[in-house]
Amino acid sequence: MLKAENIVSFRQYLIAIGITWFLIIVLLVRFFQIQIIGHDRYRKKANTNRIRKITTTAPRGLILDRNGQILVDNLPTYVLTAIPGELSQKGEKFGLISKTIGLDSTIVSRNYKKYYRGRFISTRLAKDLTFHQISKLEENKLNLEGIYYQQFPERYFPSVVRASHILGYVKEVDKSIRATIKDKSEYELGDMIGWNGLEKKYESYLKGKRGVYFYEVDALGREVGYVEDLPPKKPEPGQNIITTLDINIQKTLENLMEGSRGVILVGIPETGEILGAVSAPDFKPDLFTGLMLEQDWQSILKHPDKPLINRFNQGLYPPGSIVKMITAITLLKNQEFDPEVEQICEGSYQFGDRVFGCWSTQGHGGMNLTSAMLNSCDVYFYKSTHYFDLDMLSNSFRRFGFGQPSQIDISGESSGLVPTASFMNKRYGRYGWSKGALLNISIGQGELLVTPIQVFNYVNLLATRGIAQTPHFVRVDQLPENIHPNYESNIWDRIVSDMRAVIVDEKGTGKSAQPNVPGFKVFGKTGSAENSHGESHAWFLGWAEYYDKNYSIVVLVENGGSGGTIAAPIARQVFSQIINYNDMAAR
Amino acid sequence: MIGSQSFELKDLPIKIIWAVVFLSTIGLIVLKSISQHHIGGVFQNPFSKQILFMVPSVIGTITILFVPRYTIHKYAYALYAISIIFVILPFFGSPHAGTYRWLNIGLPFAVQPSEFAKIFTAIALARYLSDHNLEMKHFMSIIIPIILVLIPTSIVMNQPDLGTAIVILAPVLPMLYWSGARPFYLFLLLAPLFSMLMAFHNMAFTIWAIVLGVTIFIARPKTIMSFGLFFGNIFIGLLSPFLWNSLTSYQQNRILTFINPEKDPLGAAYQIIQSKTAIGSGGLFGKGWGDGTQTHLKFLPVQESDFILSVIGEELGFITIFVILIVFGYLIVQIMKQSYLSKDRFSSLALIGFATIFLSHVFVNTAMTVGLIPVKGLPFPFISAGGSFLIACYLMFGLILKLSVNYSD
Repeated sequence: MLKAENIVSFRQYLIAIGITWFLIIVLLVRFFQIQIIGHDRYRKKANTNRIRKITTTAPRGLILDRNGQILVDNLPTYVLTAIPGELSQKGEKFGLISKTIGLDSTIVSRNYKKYYRGRFISTRLAKDLTFHQISKLEENKLNLEGIYYQQFPERYFPSVVRASHILGYVKEVDKSIRATIKDKSEYELGDMIGWNGLEKKYESYLKGKRGVYFYEVDALGREVGYVEDLPPKKPEPGQNIITTLDINIQKTLENLMEGSRGVILVGIPETGEILGAVSAPDFKPDLFTGLMLEQDWQSILKHPDKPLINRFNQGLYPPGSIVKMITAITLLKNQEFDPEVEQICEGSYQFGDRVFGCWSTQGHGGMNLTSAMLNSCDVYFYKSTHYFDLDMLSNSFRRFGFGQPSQIDISGESSGLVPTASFMNKRYGRYGWSKGALLNISIGQGELLVTPIQVFNYVNLLATRGIAQTPHFVRVDQLPENIHPNYESNIWDRIVSDMRAVIVDEKGTGKSAQPNVPGFKVFGKTGSAENSHGESHAWFLGWAEYYDKNYSIVVLVENGGSGGTIAAPIARQVFSQIINYNDMAAR
Repeated sequence: MIGSQSFELKDLPIKIIWAVVFLSTIGLIVLKSISQHHIGGVFQNPFSKQILFMVPSVIGTITILFVPRYTIHKYAYALYAISIIFVILPFFGSPHAGTYRWLNIGLPFAVQPSEFAKIFTAIALARYLSDHNLEMKHFMSIIIPIILVLIPTSIVMNQPDLGTAIVILAPVLPMLYWSGARPFYLFLLLAPLFSMLMAFHNMAFTIWAIVLGVTIFIARPKTIMSFGLFFGNIFIGLLSPFLWNSLTSYQQNRILTFINPEKDPLGAAYQIIQSKTAIGSGGLFGKGWGDGTQTHLKFLPVQESDFILSVIGEELGFITIFVILIVFGYLIVQIMKQSYLSKDRFSSLALIGFATIFLSHVFVNTAMTVGLIPVKGLPFPFISAGGSFLIACYLMFGLILKLSVNYSD
């Protein structure tokens, strides 16, 4: 027998031991990697694993008019949610839900997919459920394990006004919207976010703070109890915002623009407060709440009058004669210019090889600055263009806020266009345009483009001799600084008296803007802006002094025709209503 | 002289006993934590169930100490045959949780015959290799031992229980190595398997072909044989993608899920994630006994057996895991030492076989818990709960003690 001999060599034994320790060390290294190096990460993961966060939506702040009338309110509705980790036999449960509340089960499963973010995160199945529907589901509670409901405040518009372009709307946060939000903790899928108008601008005020409470759960999703070191937090409702709007004036404006395209803006010149603003056509503000049908969307998107466009701050229009006060100021600043010297208007003016017409083809005859203003004579201004150049004129335009955003508290504002010499050079080439362009621009035509809100700020600046505040819908502590054009008082006097002449003179183009009420003093200017879309745009701007109150107004009727016959009477109707409300309030 | 052995306590390898006592104690401590909030009978509570199974386990261990060594040698093949029959029996019954692992013999618990089959396969292998000492230098003489292990392995694999199948298969390589088979032959055994797997990746297959060529060159068999081996393997490798593509996608999927259950994300992947979360959140010192949130909120699956190490990792920390694995490494090395020191061929082979069984259990279970390999559903020796498994571990423990005793013969 091989008695004293070992079966294996020492080398074989060492190899076996070596392999053993090698495998043990591999495992230890792996444990070290997970437990020591990855400890923080896994600890966090373990915490979210066992703690379920339930959030409750905070009601958004209300939006009120200046007298406290509610423009935007909240309506309590219910949303149905599911915790995916607790949900077994999804298909059956979705079927039962749809049968109980009368909702297509494909909507339920589509929502489930759309809102799914994880096994333990509550996932929305349906919204806008009524209390009645919820109580029916409650009867089937035993068969609906893993299904929950929460109260969800939905936007609701109790007011008689639409004000859709001002108030804007909220949108549901979906995955693509959430991807664009910087602070992800602020919004969850299915939350509402202000998407337009004041809802968007004042989102941080209106939003409020979500309520949160934490449950400790086991892997089957059963609630074990509250988490002690994470006390529940009640939702904080958003702040209400008080607008400068007056529900009565707003209603008047909306009625006046019913069926037309255009804008009316009414406000207080000194403060820049806007009492009423309408961009017509508009839409019902509740269009965006609830379930929006695809065909509704399409009909609005494809509507030829583009109701979704906010005309008062996005629409770009040629201003026409309403900017002649700026041309007049540019002239008055030149010492050589004498406003009393008459120019003869023969209905047209030959400049180089081009003929520039006056709106009155038979001509106005002899005109000084005042009569040119009240008749809105174009030839007078053509003949005066040798007193300035394009850059001097465009500089005056910019001093009244044209060519730059008015900083109105509704986003998406257009800047408009004030052409300068360098702009013209760039667009047409250095020799591609002539001084003839200056003739057009001096009467508010040509390349010049303005937004109605810029015009509103312009009329406020005229009414206040340059000290008006930035136009706004919501009074905040720190308004953005407005521009303040500064001219000698004799220039302001002249402009104001000429604007008064436009209303009160026998031949004044704006005389139909004056309501027949003693003590109600209207100042204004009409404009009929030629454009490439058909009839002229009818403009009227002005303000009224009534006792100690001032009201400024801008009226624009797209392709309405003559400003004096179309826009000015609308202004009168607005003024009449203002007088009525004031009288009612006085009584 | 065989048969007149005098059994004395001081002859037992005391280090092995201490290691097993330590591991079993840790196991009971952890099972106690898991069982804290268990409601239901004794057999629903992992701790009391484990205590209960300790009784037959320890009795089994002690009994084996009084069984003569030659009896074990003598009945090695018979026990092997019986265990094979028992492994087949569940296939005639109804499946238990979709598998044929369990045999219901009218007790309040089911028996898992494959746990015992692995012991008897190792013993049968030890006997065959000790009886056929001299022929081991020839390639053909390793064929019969291979067939010996492949029979239970393939049956268990069909239950299906890949983990246990691996454990049954694993001892054959070190045991062949122990009995003097050329390492080159062992390499040739594994070569076709590698050739097939590597063929699905161009780079890997190139590297494999180089390794194969170099190994054959170094081993220097006859020229014709070298070429035959090399090109045979390459041919098998090149053929396997065609064979694979000839399968239907349904068959392919079944094979893929079998090899890698993590392909089923709600099943195995979820378990691995929960296991890693439990372990990782434990940190260096753990959350404390009974304070593992992953464990007690039942995020951790099969925590009393397959994922018991995750519970330890979470509640008792890296420090305890470290101690356990070091103690286990020490235990295995002690068994190997006994195997090395043994003057008896049969004992030496059986001991290295048991050491391999334990090592593969520890490695597969632990590697699975930390996501190194796919989930295989294998318990951790002496610590995991489980009736058949505990008894099997203690039977092996008894056999190790018995075969380690150096006789004055």
